[in-house]
This record gives sequence, structure tokens and C-alpha cells, in this order.
Amino acid sequence: MATYDNKIWLLKNIRDAFIATDDTGLCEIVMAGEDFSKVFQNKAIEEKKRIREGRLMQPGPSKHKDGMGDISEEEIGKEIVTQFDPYPDMDDSEDDDPLCGSYVRYEDLGGYRPRSNTAQWLDKKEQALKKAAKIKVIKWEDSSLTADQLNEMFSKFEVKKPEKQKSLLAEQLQNCPNLPYRQYLEYAKFDGTAQLGLPTKSFKIFMTMLPEKHQAYPLVVCVIASAKIKDLIGFTCYKYSIEHPDISLESVHDYGLCIAEDDGEVDWAFPCLDANEPCSKFGFTCLGLVELKSKSAMAQPPSSIPEDGMSGAFHVFSKVTDSGQSHQNPSRHNTGGSSTSEAVLSALKALNEGGDADTGKMQSHILATEAPQYKAYKVYLQRKVRSNTCVQLGISLYRIEIEPLVTNKHAFWSRSKYFLHSIDSVAWCQILETRGTRTTFRIVYSPNHNAVYHERNNAGNSTMFHQNAIFKLHDFECDHDMAKEIVEKVNTILDLRNSPCRREYKTAKEKKLQTRRSFHTKHLS
Amino acid sequence: MSGDGSGSGSTVALVTGGYDHTIKLWQAHSGVCLRTMQHPDSQVNGLEISPTGQMVAACGYQHIRMYDLASANPDPVVNFEGITKNVSRVGFQKNDQWMYTGGEDWTARIWDPRAAPQFRCTKIFQVQAPVNAVMLHPDQSQIMVGDQSGIIHMWDLSTDQNEQLIPEAEASIQDIAIDPEGKMMAAVNNKGNCYVWSLGGSAPHPVPLKHIVAHSKYALRCKFSLDSTMLVTTSGDCSAKVWRTSDWTLLRELRNDTQRWVWDAAFSIDSRYLFTGSSDSYARLWDVEKGTLEREYCGHQKAITALAFRDQAV
Repeated sequence: MATYDNKIWLLKNIRDAFIATDDTGLCEIVMAGEDFSKVFQNKAIEEKKRIREGRLMQPGPSKHKDGMGDISEEEIGKEIVTQFDPYPDMDDSEDDDPLCGSYVRYEDLGGYRPRSNTAQWLDKKEQALKKAAKIKVIKWEDSSLTADQLNEMFSKFEVKKPEKQKSLLAEQLQNCPNLPYRQYLEYAKFDGTAQLGLPTKSFKIFMTMLPEKHQAYPLVVCVIASAKIKDLIGFTCYKYSIEHPDISLESVHDYGLCIAEDDGEVDWAFPCLDANEPCSKFGFTCLGLVELKSKSAMAQPPSSIPEDGMSGAFHVFSKVTDSGQSHQNPSRHNTGGSSTSEAVLSALKALNEGGDADTGKMQSHILATEAPQYKAYKVYLQRKVRSNTCVQLGISLYRIEIEPLVTNKHAFWSRSKYFLHSIDSVAWCQILETRGTRTTFRIVYSPNHNAVYHERNNAGNSTMFHQNAIFKLHDFECDHDMAKEIVEKVNTILDLRNSPCRREYKTAKEKKLQTRRSFHTKHLS
Repeated sequence: MSGDGSGSGSTVALVTGGYDHTIKLWQAHSGVCLRTMQHPDSQVNGLEISPTGQMVAACGYQHIRMYDLASANPDPVVNFEGITKNVSRVGFQKNDQWMYTGGEDWTARIWDPRAAPQFRCTKIFQVQAPVNAVMLHPDQSQIMVGDQSGIIHMWDLSTDQNEQLIPEAEASIQDIAIDPEGKMMAAVNNKGNCYVWSLGGSAPHPVPLKHIVAHSKYALRCKFSLDSTMLVTTSGDCSAKVWRTSDWTLLRELRNDTQRWVWDAAFSIDSRYLFTGSSDSYARLWDVEKGTLEREYCGHQKAITALAFRDQAV
């Protein structure tokens, strides 16, 4: 293990190992330009130069003291050992250059023990034999046929003028005028399914940019290993449009490939794979095809629903009363009506115009149609004096329900109260802050508007406004994605309802904003 | 051929082969590659679909192989052995009784792949230069052998007699075509010239009919349409040209500057469409009447040097 004495060699190998085994390619980006092995080597050269110059300046006796006698300048240089040197005792020859060879080999990292050459050779031989057994071989041999037989073989045929015929090809061409995959045709040559002697790579691609019903199964594609990521995207589009000619896809430049889980869940935390890198570089087999537009939207911090421009469009909902409607499925009453869908459409329009215009239309559509449906979340209710308690937060078109999930019934001090707010008493919902993996969000409500629901306990909730209405709040904590979802859901519902309570709160907030700007920038912006 | 095999999918079959050592079967109307067959160790110089439509024969360096079009087998089913050089062309007798080839070993050969070895008929015709082109006369009794020295040998199969034609000195014959009625023979050479003879008239020998300066560069193939009204010549000048056989004027120039050399061509049965295969690894389908590009076939990694097309009458 003498080779491990070499610092530079080790550094180089650790670096290579990181780059080779990191399928995300991030290591390489991070370490770009910081090749310490090279830095060390350069430093060693500088140091040597410095020391050599220093020695040459010294008079002769010092050399004799070292017992070196009459040595040439180069020899002095060779003898100098610096702290940056890779191999203290070795000459710098081409073969032993510590930087020329690295132990890490990309192809050896497949996870399988490489088989010996002989075993591989034997395998190949056996396969070739098996193949050959199926092939009929015809050798060139001189004929032993009689003249009569030959005459029969080569008898003259009468040449007839061929009839005019209709072509099946022409018919097929007429029946097949539209070829949606034609725009991706240039990528067809990256097909790896039948290549001879070319390394190939297979991927499971989830078409995450398509509506959910088309995402059930991943598309398995096999491309030649030298294909770049952009070629893989193109070939995926090509293959998908052949199999699903009814679904139109965008230009390949609008798509990116992201790392995905086995179940098709895209990992949005990572950037899209670099389109110009060969796909052989990446070790993932599951990838998600995403729209670059929505990818950039996903990566942005959540934006709150715009405050104005919403009123007026939803007057139809303010008339809806929640009496006698089932708790389980309140959404039923609000789907299907033409005025409803119009309202949803205008809500979408307002959403898209007002705030994040980049958010995919499909995304907001799903949001708007799913938002009124009842959904429960497990979050932590923040309390001022005691520790946070785990509660179930149920949100529907009509209510917000906070139900404590008590583990220890005897510990009365840790018991939290049950809250039930009519949605028309809820005024506001927003994300407050993100700390680490936890995000806190706030729901503001007014007990005044909560006439139908009895509020059993107001303790622990601070009063915010003392005008016509009293506004109180709950603060919750959960992970970022869930907080985002809840806030979006509640805001969509609030915007749909546009209750007097919400309007009142908005007005009050605007007034506050004018008078106590500093408070609001801190609290609500 | 029933044609409903998993591989071919229809009785219309387009087969291409080239420098990437593969042979591809295409769905001609959609442009989708149905299958890829392996042609190891060699490029594909020539392709021909057997008269039954069951097999495709491919010839290349030291190899002649036959592939089953109806199955999904990517490997050849018949391998012809004993060849030392490039085989440039392959073709079938119309009843599938025998097969003929020509190659750089200075010979044209007759093969009989179906019979048992002792009844196998073989025949060999020796010339003085590498054979670039072989073409069977529609009456099945004569093979035209074109060689590198510029000679066309008319090899009579029953008598083994031969007659020679030398259209141009110091120019190699690249391809020979005979129209389906057996009345015209065309040959192209490496200077881009095309020579046409009339056959089967009152005179016993071919009578020179026309000399066309078809291309400015190397000509590679020539083929008559099934109705004998057109002749296509392909060339290294990035084009395929379609000539009227009535007056030998240019009907259509099918040019695409990115396609580089156009190696091979094939007409549809109604003579309306023409396939070409070229160095840019694409095969193309042209509407000869309109002069428009109808389809492109992309999938080869390297140049397409040979193609074969089998149409179906409806």
C-alpha cells in the first residue's frame, strides 16, 4: 500500500471518487476549479524554486556540510523536498506522474463485481455458438447437376408487360396524414434498443408534465449511452408521441429531466439534469420529464394569493349558505354549475394575472377544483405558554376544524381545545416564516362572525384588532410543502367565498397599513 | 407472405442498411422503425427482398446473409460462406429458385440456397475486374455484369456465352438497370454519365439509344419504374434525378443538400413514390409527381448505402 503515501494521488482519487459516484453531478460543479492535487503540485514547484534559489545564494561550505559535493543545479532541485511534494523519493517520470492515472474507473462502479476476462470470453463464445446453431450455412460448392437440370433451372421466361397496379403504400400514406412525432424525428437515431456494439442505457421516464391520468406508467426508453440529456428528452418525446399520437407535446426545448423516485415523484429540490451532458454520466434510472416553466415556478418561494382584483367575480358564492349540507362532501354542491365553472375560470384568470404568471395553468386549475374538498392535515398548533400540540387541521369549503390529537388524556395541562370555525369567519391565511424544515403559518378568524359555531375557548389566542370586529389567530407549524398546500387551499376557498369578514379584515388591514406601516411590514408582508 | 408476422406488420416493407452494420425494417407509411437486424462485421452494399417477401438478402464485405422478415429474429437465418471480398449486389430469380450475386472477387455467382447440398446448383462467371453491378434480365435467362473496368458482360445463363458492351473508356460501371418490360437497359458510371440501350428489338444485340450526362459527380444507382416511364439515377452530387423514358428529359430532381451521397433508390408499385437512402443516415420518401418530400426515416447511426422496398398491389 505504498502508493497511499502519495498525498496528491489520494486527493485526486477522493476527488474522482466523489465525481464518479455522485449521480447528480453536483459534486463536480461544487469542486470545479478546486483541484487541490493540482494546487499542491503547483505549490510544490514554487516552493522548490524558492528553496533552490535560496540554496544557490548560500556559499559553498553549506553544500559540503550536506555531503553532496559537486552537484549540478538540477540535482539540487531534485533533492529539495517540500511539504507539498507528492512523492518525496521519486523522480518525476511520465509513468509515475501521480496525476496521470486515477484508481477510480467509472465503468467499474456498476455495483457488480467485474467478471474475469476469461469468464466473459467464454460467455461470449457460448452465445456465439448458440446463435450460430440457428443459422443455416451455405458453402460455395461446385455444382454437380446435369445439363438438363441446368437448362430447366435457367429456362427463359416470357416477359409480360406489367399491369398498372394500385399501391398499398399510397393508400396507407393517404390514411396516415398526421404524424405528430415527425417533429422529434431527428432524435429517433438515439434509439438504443437495437444497436450493435454500442453501449446503451435504459431509463424509466415519468411524464410529469402531462395531466395525472397519463402519468400512471413510466415510459421505458433505451438510448445509446453517448446520447446527451437533450437527446434523451427528444427521444422520449418521439417515443411517447408514437405511442400516444393523440397527446400533443411541446418543443423539446421546453422540457427538462429531473431526478424522480420509483413512484414518479419528482425531486424538485434538485435542478434539471444538464441538457448537454451525456446520459451515461448519470446513474439514475427513474427520471421525470418536467416543463421548464413549471420547474422554475416550483423552485420559487410560495407567493400569496393577490389581495385585490378578486371581489366581484365571486358574488355567486357569497349567496351560498352552508345550512344542511353534508360535512363530508361539501364540494358536491359547487361543481358542475355553469356559473361555478365561470367563476372558477375567472378566478384562475385573476390568479394568473395577479401574481405568479408563470405558474402552470394546470397547476392552478387543480388547485381551484380541489380546494373546496375536505382535507385533513396533521400539524402542530403553536401555543404561547405551553409546548406545541399536535392537531388535526380539517379544511373544507365551509369550515375549518382544529381537533387535538391527544396522546395522554390524563395530562390535562397539555390538552388542547377543539375549535370549529365557519369559513365565513376566517379572514386571512398566510405563511409567516420558514425555519429549517419547519414553516409556520397563520389563520386569522373573527369570533364575531362565528355566530353559528360556539367557540368554547379563546384562551391562548391573542386579539389583534379592536374595531368593529375582533380578529384572533391560530399559528401552526408543519413542513414547508404542507404549509404551502394548506395556505393555498385556504386562500383559494377564502377567495371563492369572499365573506364580509374577510373584506372587513382586508379593509382594517389597509387602514393599519397606512397608519402603522412598520408593524405590517414586519407582520404581514 | 401473409405479412401479418410480428416483425413486418404489413405486406409493404422498406428495408435499409448501411455503414452502421445494421439493417432496419420500417413501416413505410409512418416512418417508424419496426425492427433492427444485426449485420456484424460489415457494411451493407446491397439489399434485395425475396420474391415471396419472406426474406431479405443483404450483401457486404465477405458476407451474404438472409434475414427472416416475418419473425422478430435480429440475426440472419442463412449465412453464405466462402466469400473473400466485398459482395456488391444481390438479387433473386423471380420464382425464388436461385439467387445471384456479384462482387469484388471478379465474379458473378448463382446460388441455390433452398436445395439440399447434393442438388445445389452453383454457377460462376469470371471477369477481369471487380464486379460492381449485376442485373437479371426480366426473362430470367441473362445476367448483365458491370465491372470496374467499364465493361458490361451479358452473361447468358443457359449457354454461358457472353457478349460485351463498353459504353465509355476509363469509367467504371456503377449500376445497371433493365426495365420490367425488358426493352431498355441503362447503366451509370463513375463520371455521372448514363447510357441507355434498347433491348429485344429486331436486332439481336443491344442498340445504343441515349447518352445522358446525368450528374456532375459519381453516379451510384439507376432503376426503372415499374411502368417503364421513368428512370431514376442517384449520385454523389446530393441528388436523385428522375428521367422520362419517353424523351429522356429530366422530370424531377430530388435534391436535399444535407443528404450528401444518394446511394440507392426504389419506386413504389404505382411509380408515384420514390424512396432514397443517403449518407446523412436518412432514407426519404418522395412524391415523384409533386416533387415533394413525404417522409423521412431516421434511425441509422451512419450512412444508408442500400435499400429495398416491397410494395403490395391493392
